[in-house]
Amino acid sequence: MRITQRAVALTSLQGLNRNLDAVGKLQQQLTSGRLISAPSDSPTGTNRAMQTRGDQAAVAQQSRNLTDAQNWLEQTDSALQTMLSTARRVRDLTVQGLNTGATSDVSQQALATEVTSLRDSLLSLANLQIQGRPLFGGVTSGGKAYDSSTGAWLGQQGAPVTRRVSDTEKIRVDLTGPEAFGSTPDGDLFAVVGKIAADMSSPTAASALTVHLADLDEIMNGMEYAVADVGTRASRVEKLQLINFDRALALESQLTQTEKIDLPNTIMRLEMQKVGYEAALAATAKAIQPTLMDYLR
Amino acid sequence: MSTFSALNAATTALWAQRRALDVTGQNIANVNTEGYSRQRADLQAIGGSPIPAFYSTSPGIGAGVNAEGVLRIRDAFLEGRGHTEHANSARLVAEADAYTQVESSFREPGDTGIQSLMGEMWAAWGDVDNGPHELASRGQVIESLNTLIGGVQFSYASIGTQWDQTLDNLGVLVADVNEAAESVAKLNTAIQRATQSGLPANDLTDQRDLLVMKLAEQVGATIRPGEDGMVDVVVGGMALVSKGTASALALAGAMGPDDVGTDPPRLTTASGGFTVQAGGTAAGQLNALNKILPDSRASLDDFAVSLAAAINAKHTTGAYDLDGNPGIDILGSSGGPLTAATLSVMLTSPRQIAASKVAPVASSPALDSSNADEISQLRLSLTGPDAKYRAMIVELGVQAAVTGRNVGIQQVITTQVDAARESVAGVNLDEEMTNMLSFQHAYSAAGRLVTAIDETLDVLINRTGLVGR
Repeated sequence: MRITQRAVALTSLQGLNRNLDAVGKLQQQLTSGRLISAPSDSPTGTNRAMQTRGDQAAVAQQSRNLTDAQNWLEQTDSALQTMLSTARRVRDLTVQGLNTGATSDVSQQALATEVTSLRDSLLSLANLQIQGRPLFGGVTSGGKAYDSSTGAWLGQQGAPVTRRVSDTEKIRVDLTGPEAFGSTPDGDLFAVVGKIAADMSSPTAASALTVHLADLDEIMNGMEYAVADVGTRASRVEKLQLINFDRALALESQLTQTEKIDLPNTIMRLEMQKVGYEAALAATAKAIQPTLMDYLR
Repeated sequence: MSTFSALNAATTALWAQRRALDVTGQNIANVNTEGYSRQRADLQAIGGSPIPAFYSTSPGIGAGVNAEGVLRIRDAFLEGRGHTEHANSARLVAEADAYTQVESSFREPGDTGIQSLMGEMWAAWGDVDNGPHELASRGQVIESLNTLIGGVQFSYASIGTQWDQTLDNLGVLVADVNEAAESVAKLNTAIQRATQSGLPANDLTDQRDLLVMKLAEQVGATIRPGEDGMVDVVVGGMALVSKGTASALALAGAMGPDDVGTDPPRLTTASGGFTVQAGGTAAGQLNALNKILPDSRASLDDFAVSLAAAINAKHTTGAYDLDGNPGIDILGSSGGPLTAATLSVMLTSPRQIAASKVAPVASSPALDSSNADEISQLRLSLTGPDAKYRAMIVELGVQAAVTGRNVGIQQVITTQVDAARESVAGVNLDEEMTNMLSFQHAYSAAGRLVTAIDETLDVLINRTGLVGR
């Protein structure tokens, strides 16, 4: 084949261009720190990166959900604990009231007044709000779970209030009033305490109070069960927070692996490519320079 | 044989070697000229009369050398391949350019891409799930939807702009092609005249072939050799240049990306309006105009429709807003059919977001938020908008990668063909140098011959017949 200077120059130039293109690509990867800068660099990698990004947003959201769930459960727990100790005080007073031989009418009256005020404080605790929603109101859009004077439940039963804690799991965070304080309107905590206050001052108190005391015990059992339930859920949420944190880290490293460059590897490859490029330059310089002119006199 | 015939032969030799040296000089001068084909002085011995005849006095030795013709060395077959490969290369480069631009208009993978905006939008639904009674988190859903729509429409609009620019470029290319065709026709005429009058037309031919190569790259032109050194330039079966006359191409079809389906942009003959199947850059750009860009827009439309359908379906079945009213369509068209361009949020107030799945009891709305959660989980659906969008980006990436690889392969082929063409038609300086030496020596030798004959004649004329003087 006949070779001409221009043909040599053309093919060398193409080789040099290809070398320089590879150097440029590696250099671009190093400066941007990204392995994939367009979908065509790696279609499957792009897919994985996009999926990971979606998962990251979801995990960040789930982390917010978990904090919120923890908040709800802690508030519910503290409200229930306070109410339990108040209910215990009511129970003590009732037992004291049953002891009719030892107390006068006046002190019986005083006991009744205290129970009435304890009922008010129980009601106001039951109406505690979280972010503007009553804790024990279920899905009601109103601001109160219980009527402050009659003690009737104003909440709404429906779907439980839940928080999304992972792609597959939701955790219930609320506790409705009837679940915590007794479900029969006439026999829940507030009705029973109301009846105790009413019957305390009546002369035939003893028999009625005995019945009320039994009712109160049953309701307090229910409340203790509710506290345990809320506590179990709270510990679950804590565990899930750890899992969520781990998952966020795993996703971050997954995205880095997919999208970002491996620094030592890329620097190494750039160095090798540069050596190749310099060799090509040297070879081209040697091949293009001489002509017959250099050897003719 | 006459006394002076040897002198005459030496003269023709001097003349021919000088001519050959001239040609060598021309070759060396044009060693780096684009499109120059090396030339060679066509030396021919002047023979005696080939037919012996009565009284013929042919001595059997020739009468010198003739250097009338100057040959232009070029391989027509390789030129034809060059045209085809250059056209393929130009077409692929135009297509790869289109894909690169489409890719950049999606900004994937990255924190500013549509996928990220979608992630934020789904997360906003999660916030509504946490606080269904808060207008702030409900408002955030509407804002994040608007941001997402903005992102989709930005990509959509940038593909539209790219379409317009490509059409502009194609228009400029057609004007350029028509001008080049005109020049080729003029050169054809000049070559015909030169050939008919026996003058060398090599440089004109080089100029013309350079223009033809440009036409091959632009519209995939091929040539058909004609009489008197002329060529016909053919584009997709239509003669763009026929001998000394050129016809013109025109750009026909839709002027905007919306009408591509009914009236695709195409190249036609300027008179008659027949569609021309062009190759080269024009084919690549037409492919971008008719397929690559409209397809990308159509898949964005699909994505918009599927996004609206998925969210609306959840939002309108068994769902209630903050005031207890049944949910209405969130996403819809701002006018006309639903496309990526007309996609917009139809809600007027954040209260209208139907987060609840519990019907109002006695006209008192429930603060349930399970519907918001279900909508935020749409991102996991295998047939949902996320999956659709990802599939679309992956397909785009695969097509762009394939086109990019094809460009690489085609460029290697094109360079090889160019090297082969160059190896036939290009100037080799070593060769020219050697030729120069041999012509120079031949010239000196011819000069020496004149001296030798001069001396011979001197002996004959001045030294003979002197006896007895």
